[in-house]
Amino acid sequence: MWKRFFDWLDERLGFNGMYKALLDRPEPRGNWWNTLGSASLVLFLLQGITGIFLTMYYTPSPDHAYDSITYIMNDVAFGWLVRGVHHWGATLMVLVVFIHMLRVFVSASFKYPRELTWIIGVGLLLATLGMGFTGYLLPWNQRSYWATVVGTQIAGTAPLVGEFILRALRGGTDLSALTLQRFFAIHIWVLPAVMTALIGAHLYLIIRHGESHWPKQND
Amino acid sequence: MNHDWKQKINERYEQELRKGEFFWPDSVFRDAIVALGLVILLLLLATFVGVPNEPKADPADTSYLPRPEWYFLFLFKFLALYGQIPLLGRVEWLATVVVPLLAIGLLLFLPFIERGRDRHYTKRAIPLAIMALIVVDMVSLTLMAEIPTVAPEDAPLGWKLAVALQPITGLAIPGVGLVLLLVLPKIHRNATWRTPAWIAGIGSGSMLVLTATILVLYGAFGPPPEKTEEVPVTLAEKILAGQDLYSIHCVECHGDDGKVTVIEGVEGLEGKQISPINSRDVLYTVNDASMVEIIAYGRPDSGMPPLGKQYNPEGLSKSEIDYIVLFMRYMWDDRFQPPAEVLQPLFPPLAAGEVPSYEVHIAPIVKRYCISCHRPGKDNNNYLMTTYEEVLFSGDNADKNVVAGDPNSYLLLTIQGQEILDAEGNVLIGVMPPRGTLKPDAIDALIRWVMNGMPRTAEEAARLTPTPTPTP
Repeated sequence: MWKRFFDWLDERLGFNGMYKALLDRPEPRGNWWNTLGSASLVLFLLQGITGIFLTMYYTPSPDHAYDSITYIMNDVAFGWLVRGVHHWGATLMVLVVFIHMLRVFVSASFKYPRELTWIIGVGLLLATLGMGFTGYLLPWNQRSYWATVVGTQIAGTAPLVGEFILRALRGGTDLSALTLQRFFAIHIWVLPAVMTALIGAHLYLIIRHGESHWPKQND
Repeated sequence: MNHDWKQKINERYEQELRKGEFFWPDSVFRDAIVALGLVILLLLLATFVGVPNEPKADPADTSYLPRPEWYFLFLFKFLALYGQIPLLGRVEWLATVVVPLLAIGLLLFLPFIERGRDRHYTKRAIPLAIMALIVVDMVSLTLMAEIPTVAPEDAPLGWKLAVALQPITGLAIPGVGLVLLLVLPKIHRNATWRTPAWIAGIGSGSMLVLTATILVLYGAFGPPPEKTEEVPVTLAEKILAGQDLYSIHCVECHGDDGKVTVIEGVEGLEGKQISPINSRDVLYTVNDASMVEIIAYGRPDSGMPPLGKQYNPEGLSKSEIDYIVLFMRYMWDDRFQPPAEVLQPLFPPLAAGEVPSYEVHIAPIVKRYCISCHRPGKDNNNYLMTTYEEVLFSGDNADKNVVAGDPNSYLLLTIQGQEILDAEGNVLIGVMPPRGTLKPDAIDALIRWVMNGMPRTAEEAARLTPTPTPTP
């Protein structure tokens, strides 16, 4: 019975082909440092899941953002846990992605034929930092508000285009409801979409070229 | 085109694959263990460390010291130190824009910058050494980010040294190291991988040692760490915080129970008619948002001053106004049931013969009934009551206000309804509090406290309390 069910599905979906292409791949002898990439992916997914839960209660407006988070922390069942995981997950993700980048640099895995994988990876590192920067404002507390004031100010010091960048980031000359709204949109729509696309390309390239081996004396 | 070297790399990889493993289950197993470890770590952090509490954002509060997220601190510190460089430091955008963009560009196009085909560390010592210096510099910049880049003129030598060492640690050492590494191939053609390794090792080691020195020096000679104010978390804590704020900012006109209809004894508002803010008329018709606005903007037509920080530099932050509104709702609005913790007595009741202490008994009374006027900027004969020392020693009549064991201390006389007259018989100090009287248990506590020599802590008070001799 199960066999027939499985065969029926396999005929339509092609499990076996997928298994061969995705899982049954030969790899060089691995080491624990090579787990950092998949760890980053797990953290990204975890941030996505907890983030989706948070948006069910979070309100991106200066009048209600802070109170909606207080509500999540105090009144929503396990809201404190979901927010806690999202908060610490952000910190951990920046760390893990950065160390992953260092690992790839040290083992020189960015060289032929994996140059594009590296460039996409740097894009993912920058997007992760962007996630951190935009997400930090959302609780709309003193710390996050003033951190964003300085952060955007620094971007505004660029010669010629500084004024434009500052206004584009803030949605005006000052931090306001517009800033919060656009940081929220970037945090939950733009960057996750960008990152999903980049992760897809990153994974495709990894499967295509295989995981690199740890360099030996003759490499 | 010559594809030989590509061929070689691919063959080399095939060779590694043959003595390798399979993605499933070998790699996936390790990945799963690490992922599981991270998830457990996150659950532990979320449960036992939690998310720090912060007050609501207040654009009017410009005194707040802004700081970016921890992973941007290194950049923040770099900018601060860069600003110290004479001449060059003034060109801000070099550090804020050019350096970060250059770093991102170098990182992004690294495969086209480091073009050698060698992968083993002995054959790419210089790039590895450069990266090591940069990463260690980022770590040490992050670690010393909290320390200001300028010390006051009269700071102790240790503090000044901690400040002076910062640019050396964060800019000079990595700068010299990078220059050395970049010119090394030009000046010393046959250098082995050991020379860059030594440069990186000495540079990183000295940066870390100096960072530790800076942190220790600043910890020992720098200013004492600022006390972080506790942010109320639970509803009860918020209501109590609101009550304390109400007792300072509102009580003069509205009275401690909010039922005042005619203002008495407030300069400029004497005899003004106001609506009792504890009444249903007010509480049922004004919602929380309007109440917040009234407190923040004031009621110019009825004489109420604005209390929001954006209109009043000594005013209240957004969070503080929220707490006052919570206090009014839960204490006066009959549709709300306050949590049990809020209804505790102001101070633990005193047993017969027990001596009260400032910290346990007196401070809550003073905070609730006296501080509103006895704080800086009010008409109070300079008698301030915000700390233990001030209660005992401040004011124009400091020698007579609170005298240990003296029942004629001004404090005790005035709270018991006796005015203090000067030589000509004019009223020098009226009864306290100016409107209404303290509850008998509060008066009793203050009398016992003064008569027993004003103990500060509960331990001191316990020592003064006579142990009752057990009756046979």
